Parts: sequence; C-alpha cells; structure tokens
Amino acid sequence: MNSLFFFDSSNNKKYFWQELIDQIHDSKEFNPFCKSDDYFEVFKQIVISILLEEKITLLDSDFSHEEIFKLTGLEDYKSLQKGIDKTKLKHISTKSDLIRELKNCSDQWEITLYTSGTTGLPKSVTHKFQSFTRYVKISESNSNNVWGFAYNPTHMAGLQVFFQALMNGNSIIRLFELPNDIILSNIQEFNITHISATPTFYRLLDLKTKTFPSVLRIISGGEKIDLNKIRELNKAFINAEIRNVYASTEAGTLFASQGDQFSIRNELKNFVKLVENELHIHKSLLGQSGFLSDEWYASGDLVEIINQDPLVFKFLSRKNEMINVAGYKVNPNEVEEVIREINGVNEVSVFAKKNSVIGNIICCEIVKGSEELTEADIRKYLQSKLQEFKLPRIIKFVSQIKTTRTGKLKRK
Amino acid sequence: MNLESIKTIINTVLQNRGKQEVESISESTELRDDVGFDSLDLAELTVRIEAEFDVDVFEDGIVNTVGDILAKLK
Repeated sequence: MNSLFFFDSSNNKKYFWQELIDQIHDSKEFNPFCKSDDYFEVFKQIVISILLEEKITLLDSDFSHEEIFKLTGLEDYKSLQKGIDKTKLKHISTKSDLIRELKNCSDQWEITLYTSGTTGLPKSVTHKFQSFTRYVKISESNSNNVWGFAYNPTHMAGLQVFFQALMNGNSIIRLFELPNDIILSNIQEFNITHISATPTFYRLLDLKTKTFPSVLRIISGGEKIDLNKIRELNKAFINAEIRNVYASTEAGTLFASQGDQFSIRNELKNFVKLVENELHIHKSLLGQSGFLSDEWYASGDLVEIINQDPLVFKFLSRKNEMINVAGYKVNPNEVEEVIREINGVNEVSVFAKKNSVIGNIICCEIVKGSEELTEADIRKYLQSKLQEFKLPRIIKFVSQIKTTRTGKLKRK
Repeated sequence: MNLESIKTIINTVLQNRGKQEVESISESTELRDDVGFDSLDLAELTVRIEAEFDVDVFEDGIVNTVGDILAKLK
C-alpha cells in the first residue's frame, strides 16, 4: 500500500513512503551536516544517515554562517559532502523493509543538535539511537496514527514526534508556521489523530468554535500551559486526551501529566531526584554533551512537591537565567555578548518580560557611547548574527543600567 | 484610540523586523494573514499596545483582526 509519509502545505508537496524510499535510492551524496528549510529534506537526511550508519549533525535552517562557524569550527560544512555506499541501501524496497532497517540501527549512529547553553554559546548534545527513541512506542495500535507536526524539525521536540511517526510508519502533516485556516483544514482533511506542540502554538490557534473529532491526543510541552486554554482545547478536540509533557534537549521526553501535576514512572524513579527543589536527572538518561561531567544533571527547573512517595510535583520556574520564548530557550548572556560587539554600545542588559502570547518576550536596555547609534543599526546588526527568536523585540536606550550589590548586571 | 495609532504600532513592528510596512488597515485586516505577523510579532505588538494603552489585548484569548484589538481597547 502506498501510504502518505509527509505533506507540507507551504510548498504543497505530498510525499508517499514509496517516494521517500525512491529518493533514498537516488541520493548520490551524503553530508554529515544537515541544514535545510525544507522539512522533507531534513527527514530524508536523518533516515539516510541511519541507514548508512553515519553520524549526523542538525543545524537550524536560520543559523547564520557566523553562528555555524562558532558552533562547529567549520568554514564550509558543505565541503564535507561525500559519496554514498549503495550496498547498505539495497535491501530496502518497501515501507516495512525501511522500518525494519531503521530498527536495526547500529550503535555507531549518532545525532547531534544544538541547544542554548547556560553560559554564552549554544552547546551541542549528541544522542544515540537507543537514548533518542527510548520513548518511541511502536505498536500495531499506533500504525494508523496521523501526526500534526508543529515543531521545528531540527529541535528535540520535533525529532521526537518525527521518530514516533517514522517508526510506526505513520503519516506526518506539517502544521508549523502555517496560516490558521490551513492548519484547521489540514487537521480535517488528513484526519489528524495526534498533535504535539508548544502552548504558544495552541494559544495562537483560533479554533473558530469548530470541532475536530479525528484528534485523539493533544500533547503540549516546552512551557506552562494555562488552564483556560486546556478548557478551550477540550471543547474543540472532543475526542482527545490532553497531555502535558516535560522534555529537554538533553533528555528528551521524561514525564507526562494530565493537568499540571507530574509524576515519575516507576522505571525512572531512581534516575530523577530533587536537590533543594531543583530537578536533577541522572546522566544515563541524557545524551552526550561536552560540559557534562557530573553523574547528575541539574536541570535548572524548580518544582513544588505535591507528594513525596510516589513523587508528584509541579513546575514552578527556572533557576538559571534561561528565558523561555515560545518554547525556545534563550540565554540572555549570549544575546548580550553579541550586542556588546556593536560599536557605540557601552553597556547592555538583556532580560525577559512576561508575555501573554509567547510566554516571555526578550527586552534589552542599552547605554550608548555614541549619539549616532540608532535602534535600527542595532536591529540590523543583530539580524545577521542571531536567530530570530533570540532577538530583543523591545530595545530601550537608558542613561544607566542598575547593577546589583555584587556588581553583576541585574536581571529584572 | 483610532485606526491610525494601531497602524503606527503595526508598522513599527514590521519596520523592526525589516518587513514591508502596510499602507492602510481596516477593522477587518487580519494580523497574521494580511499583515504577515508571526507569534513573535504578535508578542511585540501586545507589548507596544500595552505600553501605550495599558491593556494586554491578548490576555484573555486570541486576537485575529485590527477590529478585535479596537474592541479590547474600548
């Protein structure tokens, strides 16, 4: 049966599983660095990397040349392209062949992605197939699922949805960064059964008092979701169970909750602990990252304990300075560093302001050393250096930035 | 509160983003489909409207059109 693999309404392209397989066979070269704004291309490259047992690094499609150089040390990652050894692909002619080969993924395979580091630059996190697909549930009952894809394909959450759909041979329908009416018509036309997205995505979804009976599961993650929105989602997705998940780039999905209270599954019990109300995760649950040397990883998430044993808790806030913008983590230090490079900037402070649309909005205050420096100059400079979601949306010139007693810049 | 001041704010957001400004708007202008705003732009819009009019237009639900904003500011 030739079933649908992926539909992208931004370019109106439909790819069937057979086409994915044909394109894999037609590929002549492979690049261990993948950067594309075409979702299908990213998906295809990941699949090819697994089949070839080659490591792959995903770069966000909006990374600038400079960002890539800073992150990877590579002037020209495109030159790493190499020929493909076709013998590894010859056993694949059907969808079930492909899934079987993927399941046999070698221990050599690794996927690397970038996440905002807690100091300065983004850091890389590398996962093996086993750790990456730990929460992928493969079963006959999942085989007819149709996934609404509402994340960036090069980020952890998007990849988890992709693997869940891929390993079960499902169809994936793009919903991310599309007009509202197209999102709604895609859900209806393709009878989408599962949607996983950030609260920002759901907040901006105008459901127009319609109902979507095909949807069986709504998953929300990456930020706190408000109860009002949950109520509204319940009305539109009349047959859906609504789940809230906690996930991080370092660990992938860890816990799920049905309201705002999270509990830990029994098998994970010994891999999670709380230290002064901060969630710590054991390193065996994490991908490899250069900076990680301790046995336990301090997540920076502060929780409130509802019940000790079994452990039930609620997420309260972040301990570190990371700002959550629509589910993307932004490190204010990284943004400040780039602003400081601008001629005429004497001092800068980047901070978050609560926002009803995207959770937090990035603001900055700047003390200028030159009268000639304008807001437009700053925006123009930053646009070429930082990804869109990291850019300060509100820029204010001030005569002085208040510092704390220790001389550190104060975060508001 | 009038259309002209909303237009000024919308154009500030568009200009900041390096996008084409709008020449005219009406109550039925769609912020996302007509103006081309994404979630970050909508967030900036709410901050700028709040700074000027002291109302968070997104606080209790989604705002789609310029008319929706005007209604919240009444």
